[in-house]
Amino acid sequence: MHIPDGFLDAKTAVASAVLSAVGVGMALRQARKTLPARRVPMLGLAAAFVFAAQMLNFPVAGGTSGHLIGATLVAVLLGPGAAVIALTAVLVVQCFLFNDGGLTALGANIFNMAIVATLVGYGVYRLVRRFVPGQRGLILAAAFAGWCSTVVAAISCAGQLAVSGTVPWSVSFPAMAGVHMLIGIGEGLITALVILAIVRLRADLLDDEAVAVAAMPVTAFVGFGLVAALGLALFVSPFACKWPDGLEKVAATLGFEHHAIEKPLLAAPIPDYALPGIGSAVVATALTGVIGTVVVFGLSLLLARVLIPHPTLESR
Amino acid sequence: MHHDFLDRYSRLDSPIHRLPTALKLALALIFVFVTVALPLSVRDWFIGLTITLIGVVALSRIPWLFLLKRLLFLEPFVLGMAVLTLFQPNGVRVFATIFVRSTLCLLTMVLLSNTTPFSAILKVLRRVRVPALFITTLALMYRYLFVLVDEAERMHRARASRTFTRETSRVHLWHALGTVIGQLFVRSTERAERIYAAMCARGWR
Amino acid sequence: MKDETKTPALQVSNLQFRYPDGAEALCGVNLTIAVGECVGLIGPNGAGKSTLLLHLNGILPERLESASPVSVFGQSITAATLPMVRRDVGLLFQDPDDQLFCPTVFEDVAFGPQQFGLANERVAAVVREALAQVGLTGFENRSPHHLSRGEKRRVCLAGVLACQPRVLVLDEPSSDLDPRGKRELKALLHGIHATKIIATHDLELVVELCPRAIVLDHGKIVADGPTIELLNDEPLMLAHGLERPHILRHRHPH
Repeated sequence: MHIPDGFLDAKTAVASAVLSAVGVGMALRQARKTLPARRVPMLGLAAAFVFAAQMLNFPVAGGTSGHLIGATLVAVLLGPGAAVIALTAVLVVQCFLFNDGGLTALGANIFNMAIVATLVGYGVYRLVRRFVPGQRGLILAAAFAGWCSTVVAAISCAGQLAVSGTVPWSVSFPAMAGVHMLIGIGEGLITALVILAIVRLRADLLDDEAVAVAAMPVTAFVGFGLVAALGLALFVSPFACKWPDGLEKVAATLGFEHHAIEKPLLAAPIPDYALPGIGSAVVATALTGVIGTVVVFGLSLLLARVLIPHPTLESR
Repeated sequence: MHHDFLDRYSRLDSPIHRLPTALKLALALIFVFVTVALPLSVRDWFIGLTITLIGVVALSRIPWLFLLKRLLFLEPFVLGMAVLTLFQPNGVRVFATIFVRSTLCLLTMVLLSNTTPFSAILKVLRRVRVPALFITTLALMYRYLFVLVDEAERMHRARASRTFTRETSRVHLWHALGTVIGQLFVRSTERAERIYAAMCARGWR
Repeated sequence: MKDETKTPALQVSNLQFRYPDGAEALCGVNLTIAVGECVGLIGPNGAGKSTLLLHLNGILPERLESASPVSVFGQSITAATLPMVRRDVGLLFQDPDDQLFCPTVFEDVAFGPQQFGLANERVAAVVREALAQVGLTGFENRSPHHLSRGEKRRVCLAGVLACQPRVLVLDEPSSDLDPRGKRELKALLHGIHATKIIATHDLELVVELCPRAIVLDHGKIVADGPTIELLNDEPLMLAHGLERPHILRHRHPH
């Protein structure tokens, strides 16, 4: 999901850079206040860990391979603040050392993979765990959160491409979200399997109390949420608000009618154009997303059952 | 992991290498940003930049073949996303524009990476007041990423060598991957503790 | 043997320690090390050697108490004396990858002096000297991941020497070194004039460098005396997971 240079126009690059700077700045400030000195090297090692983990490809259908983003994993293990910092470090090193991801796109890449992915992953994880405690809840939450974080990050990326006028939303959304709904399964699966392995090796590392050291107070989390929400509002909502429109139209016709796509709030330099069936691709993706969410939740539940056949009675 | 390509040329001696890092960073940023912001119709910029970059390549003494290989390795990532631009009116034009812009920016960044050691970039970041915590994180990440990648590879290979039956089932592979990454995390945590001790032993607060 | 009026470099009185999970423990260690001595600390795995070494410059215990069983040059290790202790007692860790944590050799060797407040102009000179001492002149700009194990070890040693410690504590300095690396290390250590404590499995190293040896087992000192005498004592060696080194088998007893 690393966006190279040249795909984002100036305004999108600057807007996402500013948002990312604010978000990462908040994470750093919060870490400076709450992170004990002995945990400081862990941030660097966590970043190196994410990088190394990303190097290990996982086999996907048909000989292709995907790889991990890792935001949810680090957020679960070390807290969202640490995850934001570590993932940002990974992206910076990837940009400057490996030329993976553009310099002007760095802000956008950080926004998608370090901020949005972390927040969504961590938020979903905590939410699910609140309702499903125990080891099975851990697996379920980790798997589902991993998937959600990947998909939402991809949607944000699609939005940035569309707002820049590079790729129309009607193409970027189905393409990015669609592909990442599949890749996200890998992310969810790996996240869950790794968490399980760590629970078996060193359960103390997953002690909620220890994570709380690096976790953040509600106010800070809300602050992050606002940054993420603002970005998503800028990049995605211009396109999202016409979904109800699209649903109606598709319901009325068979998708052959001219489908009026509203102009986004930030005008794209390339005029919109409707191809038969393209409009419905967006709707189809959205529907798939909704169904997919339910399906993946169900799969995650199944995974939890498979991996923890005999849950021990515990208060967590 | 074949990481010897990194830093292989970043410490050569050439007029380009000898330029101050802050200048190289600033120039790279300007080149990339202007390339992204200007329409392709401003031909002078794009032609001028291409000539400048070729000149930099020549002066930098980095082997042409190496740069070509790096570009060829990175282009598919550009193309993969660029393909999406074809699905719109004037798509081919957009695609071509993106391709030219992206490739020029890519070349700029490849040249930057290969004429500047990462530790020098860190020093510049420190000077522009990037928070110390982040600099430390970047420095440690850079230092230990090869250590961890090697560790991960060794664990992966060790696991593979212990598979005596034809257990190449997808399930087994995934499970093994999870365990290797999990172990890697645990070891990273333990190593971080030892690094902390080593830092304290030499007076760190 | 020990001059009563001279302050010992290190004094440990009834040191007891247990890790939170109860793994390694020290059960009442008493030892005194005089200035200028070179002592070999030997014992089986899990005896507590590393744990003991970590106490010598205040890394352990994690929370310092007001009355520490360890004193360095007559001063007990407290929060107030910790900076001085860290400076005076240089610790070389077992895994050079843990100790060599900066992006370049120069920055790593400079780390200690900088932390101890040395002026920038002096730092460069100190780093050069330290690198020269370990035979790595010209390595200033190298990246750690391109160095061999032996080179990394030497950089770590330089990093410790740059702080000009009065006591040098080394944890398994010759492990994973090839024979040439070991020879170079021995020559290096021989040339360093500081009080030295070397924890090691390499009994030949102990014979060649350390006139005095201490045997640690199960967190207790079970023997403390002249190296040759101790290492020739086969029952003692075998009882504590060691053995009489080959180098002594062909020597005539003194």
